[in-house]
Amino acid sequence: MNLLGVVTFLPLAGALLAALLPRGEARQHRALALAVTLATFLLSLLLWFGFDAGPAAPEFQFEARHPWMPGLGIGYHVGLDGVALLLVMLTTVLTPVVVLSTWRAVQDRVKEFMIALLVLETAMIGTFAALDLVLFYVFWELILIPMYLLIGIWGSQNRLYATVKFFVYTFAASVLMLVAILFVYFHDGATFDYVDARAALQVTPDQARWLFLAFGLAFAVKVPMFPLHTWLPDAHTEAPTAGSVILAGVLLKMGTFGFFRYALPLFPAAALEFRPAIAVLATIGILYGALMSFVQTDMKRLVAYSSVSHLGFVMLGLAALSAEGLTGSVYQMLNHGISTGALFLLVGMLYERRHTRAVAEYGGLAKQVPLLATAFVVVTLSSIGLPGTNGFVGEFLILSGTFLSRLAHSTVFATLAALGVVLGAVYMLTLVEKVFYGALHKAENRHLPDLSLREGLVLAPMIALIVVMGLLPAPFLAPARPAVNRLVARFQQAEARVGAPTAVGTVEAAVAARPALPTGRSF
Amino acid sequence: MIGFPTRDFAALAPVAVLASGALVVLLSEVFLSGGRRTYQALLAVVTALVAAAAAAVPAPAGAIFEGQATVDAFSVFVTVTVCGSTVLAALVSTSWLGARDAERGEFYALTLFSASGMVLLGMASDLLVAFVAIEIMSLSSYALSAYLRRGRRPSEAAFKYMVLGAVSSAFLLYGSSLVFGATGTTLFAGLHGGRGAGSLLLVGGLGLIAAGLAFKVAAVPFHAWTPDVYEGAPTPVTAFMAAGVKTAAFALLVRIFLAAQTGPGAVDLSLDRVLTVLAVLTMVGGNLLALSQRSVKRMLAYSSVAHAGYLLVGVVSARVDGARSLALGGLLFYLAAYSATAIGAFAVVGLLERRGSGDLEPAHPWDLSRFSGLARRHPGLAFGMAVCLFSLAGVPPTAGFVAKLYVFKAALGAGYTGLAITGVLTSVLGAFYYLRVVVHMYMRPAEGEVEPIAAPAALLALGLAVAVVVLLGLGAEPVIRLAQAASALAM
Repeated sequence: MNLLGVVTFLPLAGALLAALLPRGEARQHRALALAVTLATFLLSLLLWFGFDAGPAAPEFQFEARHPWMPGLGIGYHVGLDGVALLLVMLTTVLTPVVVLSTWRAVQDRVKEFMIALLVLETAMIGTFAALDLVLFYVFWELILIPMYLLIGIWGSQNRLYATVKFFVYTFAASVLMLVAILFVYFHDGATFDYVDARAALQVTPDQARWLFLAFGLAFAVKVPMFPLHTWLPDAHTEAPTAGSVILAGVLLKMGTFGFFRYALPLFPAAALEFRPAIAVLATIGILYGALMSFVQTDMKRLVAYSSVSHLGFVMLGLAALSAEGLTGSVYQMLNHGISTGALFLLVGMLYERRHTRAVAEYGGLAKQVPLLATAFVVVTLSSIGLPGTNGFVGEFLILSGTFLSRLAHSTVFATLAALGVVLGAVYMLTLVEKVFYGALHKAENRHLPDLSLREGLVLAPMIALIVVMGLLPAPFLAPARPAVNRLVARFQQAEARVGAPTAVGTVEAAVAARPALPTGRSF
Repeated sequence: MIGFPTRDFAALAPVAVLASGALVVLLSEVFLSGGRRTYQALLAVVTALVAAAAAAVPAPAGAIFEGQATVDAFSVFVTVTVCGSTVLAALVSTSWLGARDAERGEFYALTLFSASGMVLLGMASDLLVAFVAIEIMSLSSYALSAYLRRGRRPSEAAFKYMVLGAVSSAFLLYGSSLVFGATGTTLFAGLHGGRGAGSLLLVGGLGLIAAGLAFKVAAVPFHAWTPDVYEGAPTPVTAFMAAGVKTAAFALLVRIFLAAQTGPGAVDLSLDRVLTVLAVLTMVGGNLLALSQRSVKRMLAYSSVAHAGYLLVGVVSARVDGARSLALGGLLFYLAAYSATAIGAFAVVGLLERRGSGDLEPAHPWDLSRFSGLARRHPGLAFGMAVCLFSLAGVPPTAGFVAKLYVFKAALGAGYTGLAITGVLTSVLGAFYYLRVVVHMYMRPAEGEVEPIAAPAALLALGLAVAVVVLLGLGAEPVIRLAQAASALAM
């Protein structure tokens, strides 16, 4: 088993070990989960430093290929390109943070909770690492079970409704992808292997359209794209803090990653046809999510709708199909994982103190909990994309990438999306104002404790990432570059093949002539 | 050479072992009337294992008794699946019956007789042999459903089962006689027509046979007996029927369908179109009807109807030459996976079943509320049930997922894209009602009294079933290879 295999399955091994520990020993389970997730993170650092982002490096690294069910043509084929690497890193960073954040919040059935969390980590890493279509589907669906239990067992009031809705919604959207995968098998020389399938797939334009829709539906629900987002506010709101962080931080990225890895490169011609629709829906999502956030009275619901808006940016960047836009999308996936994850952690901390998520119950907390307030403000600034934070880099790349792209009416989309940035600032800053500033009119809020050391440790990596990724984006952009360039090249080939007018890349010759990606210093 | 057909009889060894095992159990009942009868369950388990081993001994494949039966890898796979189901069902039975002071020798004897009928059915390649095998299997099942005559439910179940079963047998027999009239033979090999090809008599006969088999596999709209019989029969019997009867009936259906569709000079009888319609109706109907059930046992009964629909997809796909080995392999794999999963699920239902006192029937013995809070009371039991339910729903990494993947892959390979789409979409409905049980087990507080569960044999069966479900989900390759090899039917 190579390094990637160890990183993938170490959490699962931890879960099996936890199953052997006695139920009553909650502390052992917490310590074990933390140790395993930290070890996974440390090992994943070896992936990070071992990854070669040079133009001559192979597309997929840390590759491993074993027969799994050869009778059905299914192989265990894994490997990472730069985008998958970034998302694996996001997963391995977030999981120990989440484990630490549940130290107090989860007191009931700690054993089962930690097992679910560890299984979830293996499934998430596996989803990003898989290079076999069925293996990908297996990991993709496997995620549903622990997530379903996390929301349903440890969630709040309305959890049963939310969890069944989450499961059935995503399961229903995914099953058609299974049929599409099987269909691909019979049209690519009988293989489920992604790399081989991508090279050999032969389908008519009409079939490609249906296949793109089948894959796209599964991914669009996960993203979620407007109007398929309705499961998200419920699931995010009812999930325990840990569940919300994982959902927002990693699970939504599986949808956008799915577009980037599967739906776009496998069916480029069909993707070009559906590109305007994706751009329109993404822009609607940006504005709709922002407006919905604005009217929420429940903090978690507000953050949940802000996810719809932020993921709209990611989808717009993907639809732009220019190097800048795609790079911005990848960067924004990471940003959203970090800043929205941190927001859910902070809201969870407030909830642990006051046991309410209603905005109206708070007010004037800044003096009582200065550290928490500072952290909240920093994360908010990242979320609204203030220069100097990671959010700015991603949003700027997406907006400029869209503006300069050859997408029809790209200036309109970019302008409307920029309006979404303004709205984002409005609802997030309003939230900060209502919660932390103004008069302290509730007696219960008078003696709230500030951040504990543990909570500080939970937030520290998030805030550090926000600042570092804001000031020094180059090392985080570098791994994405080869994957992005390959995708753009693939679309250019597809265009040349069908003889369509050039619609990918950027308009300005001057921009196109420059190195494909701006370096960190240009900000 | 005319002589004693030793080879032919040797090939029947599994049937003989099961039948003799049944006789030994019956005899032991005569001579050892007192005391506990756990050994009888053990005897049944050993008999089934020996029969499976006898089947697994490599033997030359081919027709025996002048083509009236066929021994091939297909029949071996069916035999092993049936025997495995018998082992698990016997283990569940001894706990269930023991808890009700109802362990008697007849029970295991009937189970073994029924199993011998199923095994024979897997080999049958003659309409009359098939009919005899069906009757051996069915008569034993009728009696088993009525085995525990406490309350009116079992009697009602057995009565319904017998009357409707008799009707379906009549269909089969009448259809067989028409086919014989048309072709002059009762061998499957003559089903594709011969001198009677295309005649109305042959078409009518095959239609009646198809209807009779649709009863046996519980395809919509011939499924009406299933919920009542499955619910009324003693739970271990339900488990055995869901696994064994389904496996055997599908084995027969495949042989007849392929013989009629693909033999030399076969004319298009549109049998595949009939089965396609049945498959769609069964997938949609079974899942829709299961949606509103509050009784978990009844829900599982409708779910078994729904699974018959997925299996029919495999049967239909076997029509296309290029996809046949995939389709039959998928069908066999699905049967093995479903057998283990269903017995595991029914084992839990049996353990949680509310018991009445004396002849009084308890109200709602299998209500969802029986499962409330199970994860706290009996974590192992809840986990086992959850694994089985996720497998029934077809969520990876369980046997149910690989089975569905296998069958739907065959459907796409055969060009039945619509069937595959119907299949995956209806399985979403399944997720909904299976999850409801998981919600009750894991996410709701316990209701009512908490009773201890001491049933080592049933727990062993559940453990074995769960192990099979997980192994077939994660490391299915050996079984896939066996199923693939078994798909080469000796026609």
